[in-house]
Amino acid sequence: MKQKKKSSLARLFEYAGNYRYLTMLAVTLSAISAWIALVPFYYIWRIVKEVLEVAPDFSQAENLGHNGWCAVGFALLAMLIYICGLMCSHIAAFRVQANMRSQTMRYILTLPMGFMDGVGSGKIRKIVNESSAATETFLAHQLPDRAGAMATPVGLLVLLLIFDWRLGLLSLIPIVAAFIIMGTMTGKKMQEKMKEYQNSLEDMSNEAVEYVRGIPVVKTFGQSVFSFKRFKASIDTYQKWVISYTKDLRMPMVLYTTAINGVFVVLIAATFLLNSQEMSSTFLLNLMFYVIITPIITVTLNKIMFSSENEMIVADALARVDGIMNMKPLTESEHPMHPADASVTFDHVSFRYENGSADAVHDISLNIPAGAHVAFVGPSGGGKTTLASLTARFWDATEGNVSIGGVDVKDIPARELMDTVSFVFQDSRLLKMSILENIRLAKPGAAREEVLKALHDAQCDDILEKLQAGVDTVIGSKGTYVSGGEAQRLSIARAMLKDAPILILDEATAFADPDHEEKVQEAFAKLSKGKTVIMIAHRLSTITTADRIYCLRDGEIVEQGTQRELEEKQGFYAHMWTIYNQSANWKVGGAKA
Amino acid sequence: MSMNERLQHKYALSEQGAADMIKAFISVTCSDIVLMFPVGLLYRLVSDCLSGTLDSSRILFYGAGSIICLGLIAVTTYIQYNATFFATYIESGVRRTALAEKLRKLPLSFFGKKDLADLTSTIMADCATLETASSHWIPELIGALAATCLVALSLLFFDWRMACAALWVLPVAFVIVLSSSQVVGISGRKQMKLKMECADGIQECLDTIRDLKANNAQGTYMSGLEQKIRAVERHAIVNELVTAVFVSSAQMVLKLGIATVALVGGVLLVQGSLDILTFFMFLLVVSRIYDPMQISLQNLAAIIAAEVQCQRMDEILSHEIQTGSEELTNRGSDIVFDHVGFSYHDGETVLADVSFTAKQGEVTALIGPSGGGKTTVSRLAVRFWDLSRGRITVGGMDISKIDPEHLMSLYAIVFQGVTLFNNTVMENIRIGKKDATDEEVLAAARLAHCDEFAEKMEQGWNTMIGENGSELSGGERQRISIARAFLKDAPIILLDEATASLDVDNETFIQESLSNLIKNKTVLIIAHRMRTVASADQIVVLKDGVVAEQGSPEELTGRNGIYQHMVTTQMQAAGWKL
Repeated sequence: MKQKKKSSLARLFEYAGNYRYLTMLAVTLSAISAWIALVPFYYIWRIVKEVLEVAPDFSQAENLGHNGWCAVGFALLAMLIYICGLMCSHIAAFRVQANMRSQTMRYILTLPMGFMDGVGSGKIRKIVNESSAATETFLAHQLPDRAGAMATPVGLLVLLLIFDWRLGLLSLIPIVAAFIIMGTMTGKKMQEKMKEYQNSLEDMSNEAVEYVRGIPVVKTFGQSVFSFKRFKASIDTYQKWVISYTKDLRMPMVLYTTAINGVFVVLIAATFLLNSQEMSSTFLLNLMFYVIITPIITVTLNKIMFSSENEMIVADALARVDGIMNMKPLTESEHPMHPADASVTFDHVSFRYENGSADAVHDISLNIPAGAHVAFVGPSGGGKTTLASLTARFWDATEGNVSIGGVDVKDIPARELMDTVSFVFQDSRLLKMSILENIRLAKPGAAREEVLKALHDAQCDDILEKLQAGVDTVIGSKGTYVSGGEAQRLSIARAMLKDAPILILDEATAFADPDHEEKVQEAFAKLSKGKTVIMIAHRLSTITTADRIYCLRDGEIVEQGTQRELEEKQGFYAHMWTIYNQSANWKVGGAKA
Repeated sequence: MSMNERLQHKYALSEQGAADMIKAFISVTCSDIVLMFPVGLLYRLVSDCLSGTLDSSRILFYGAGSIICLGLIAVTTYIQYNATFFATYIESGVRRTALAEKLRKLPLSFFGKKDLADLTSTIMADCATLETASSHWIPELIGALAATCLVALSLLFFDWRMACAALWVLPVAFVIVLSSSQVVGISGRKQMKLKMECADGIQECLDTIRDLKANNAQGTYMSGLEQKIRAVERHAIVNELVTAVFVSSAQMVLKLGIATVALVGGVLLVQGSLDILTFFMFLLVVSRIYDPMQISLQNLAAIIAAEVQCQRMDEILSHEIQTGSEELTNRGSDIVFDHVGFSYHDGETVLADVSFTAKQGEVTALIGPSGGGKTTVSRLAVRFWDLSRGRITVGGMDISKIDPEHLMSLYAIVFQGVTLFNNTVMENIRIGKKDATDEEVLAAARLAHCDEFAEKMEQGWNTMIGENGSELSGGERQRISIARAFLKDAPIILLDEATASLDVDNETFIQESLSNLIKNKTVLIIAHRMRTVASADQIVVLKDGVVAEQGSPEELTGRNGIYQHMVTTQMQAAGWKL
């Protein structure tokens, strides 16, 4: 478990691994560069000194060129070191970004399925992708620049000893003032504002996803003018926050800018204060030096000014990532056990979704012997899919146990469990890779022939024929997409290839591709042979021969038995059966018939 | 073209935005010039010291001068702050809204081509980049340039030889950065592409997470995604290096100015053609002038890099839109396809030659194998795309002459793939008719049997349904889409039968409602179950982009064609059992 108290930097270093040394190197180089950057001013001062000393016979000034080139030399050196530092810090920053993305995604893959419910994949993507990107400026620019900005006053302090300490001390006044003003800008209240501002930005981003996705629908209803009312509102809210945020920063910023540009006042005052007694040429020389060198204060402070708000952005980004990293993953048992057979048992199982007001399934007990074919039926929202999902541990039961072959699913290693249970989902998705690779996901080592056979058995031949590159066609490329029904057949092929002893079929989308209904059914039949099958059934005609039918309503089993038993009962199932037979005979335009 | 218009064009600004940007330029220039005032004061001070004329009588002059300078700095900073930040944020709000407005006018075909992630990123990220560009980079650059030019002019006036020695580096540095735009552009576009692939990969992973886990394929997928993530990392370094090489070498060139001032100054001093005070002043100037320029160079590089974003936004903003008359002149609602041909932009022909008439008050069923063109025909009827050949009329009115959104008012559409909004159930249905009363919405919802699930939800009709309705099942989503159609009550109904039967648990109820909905309307249905169309008035069989058969069910039965064949195979399927 990560400690929350750790500073943002320590947290970022965790992601950086050994690359953190690069960041440290960058910080060091930047500080060194800041010091070296002061040297050219020394040489300029030497030029001034020489000119003043030899005046009015300037032909004696032989070192002007030498000093000029030295000034340039050190300026270039400072710059080269700074650039090296920046390259180091960038390399480390990019590594942190990449590691954050990769680690968060890996973690997400260990979470229960339901973690995205109510959040939306767009939001999660943004957190994974953009929060990590938000750390870039901080690591790549702010850290080294800040080191430079810290080093400069130290360097100036050293120069104080060499030159006039009174002038040196006085020229530090604006720096102190600037730091104090900056402190007010990064206070707690501002941090909250910042958060508010970030939230409104995130909201706007979500609304944008929804808006873009919704345009086709909105257009068909001729309401596109109104559809972005919400989007527009989020744009306005964002605008409101960003303006209020900048408004609060306005006065401090003005004071800050005035302070760091006000060094000249100090110099003028000093001249009068210190010079009232005698006007020595030494003092004049020192004054010249400070006149020349003080602009560097302005530049350095400006550098850190615009990066200081980044630290808040980083803290916020890390908090968002932690929001994901602190979700509870599914536990892996310390004493893994292996199921004895392909039987499935539910023992007083209840499950409630997070934020759910009632149990989605409540106190369910049933036993499915190995090799049996059972069906879950009932109205939508009754708990059929949820109950079946618990078998594959997409969630953990809130109460009670689900076991396979006598072993609690929580004690079966995740890999083995997934190898034991196959799922053909209502809405299967394909990845943007070739069909071959898509199917092979189910069994990584499978030979091409094996995959082709699975596709054939799943009645996918016509899909392949339609595509120019056949099984090697990449889904999503050049506008190659498959319909929902085709996707389902392809996912049946996956299940064929996987050949797991327990099979959970969600029949619903047999209708998504009615042109190929018979093919899907044939494929289902082949797939089911010799396996324990849980069918989430909708079309009752397909389950009349099931070994047992469970009717679920409002999360509870209201009836169970074989088709014949249930029909005789004249209860819930019998009623569904009647209605079902009506719908099967529906005709469009039947009103006049 | 006026300056205002040019800015509007280049940075995707509104007229007000361009005017504000000009204001920002002026205010930044002013504040940059004001920042140079203290130099004059210090110059006087050194000059007074040198000539020994500094005594307490000058205190008033310097005191007043300091206060005035400080005051001016504060005031100009304040004005600059207002002119850059506030105006920009308002402008980027306007820009986002304008972009959104444009998006909704694009033909629907546009949305099939573009990835959602890509589009949204265009709206959000690009706007944010342009926001920074127009609040910081551009005004600061222009301001610094203008101020530097003014200073340079006055320096030239002071001593042109020294001025040349100090200033020659500026144009050189700028040329270096400007010449980098090509290389930086290429590198930037590649970086953008890689980032997009990575974002899409993450999105895909999140969308397919269930399938991945069910197949134990997390590892395999992750290693692919890992590669994308690492590719972004690797190229980011290259990209940074490319920019750094140009910007840094330009910045280094700037530093050379210090040496040339010292060298030229030395020579001139010896010649006696330069006085010592002027020499000091130029030393003062070279120690101050380059640092702001360095920042400007970085700004310039950033602006060049932002051109990739500008172009992408321009791609959307300049995309063709479908326009037409807003006046509907149709008499009745017969739909006539008259030798319609259609191909996608890539040349793939979907429809070769399709002619048929869907009469008002009748049910016309489109059937045929998938890929035969059923869906395309139904979408063309509402001008999702414009035709390659032929004509489609509704009640005698050529639909290609009508504004798509106004045309839509004639249709109620129930297709697959319902899109829902993160709003309440009630509002999601109200999409069907924006000014419908709650009672009307509820009536439509009941007809579509939405009440069964909506009333069970925690806050009933006012329950929020999450991003794209993530809280709802497929069937529930379909019922909302049917309720929308009921609410709209348009004279033409386009219907995909698969939609009607997707919510298998409630099929019967929905079918009943649909039978009510389509009474006395022009109905075009994409049908899959031959049983369903047995009582349609007309059947149009589409195959390979042409009408293969056409007629009433009675006429087609016994003709031993495609229809007959489809009827037979489906009867076999109906007998299947688990």
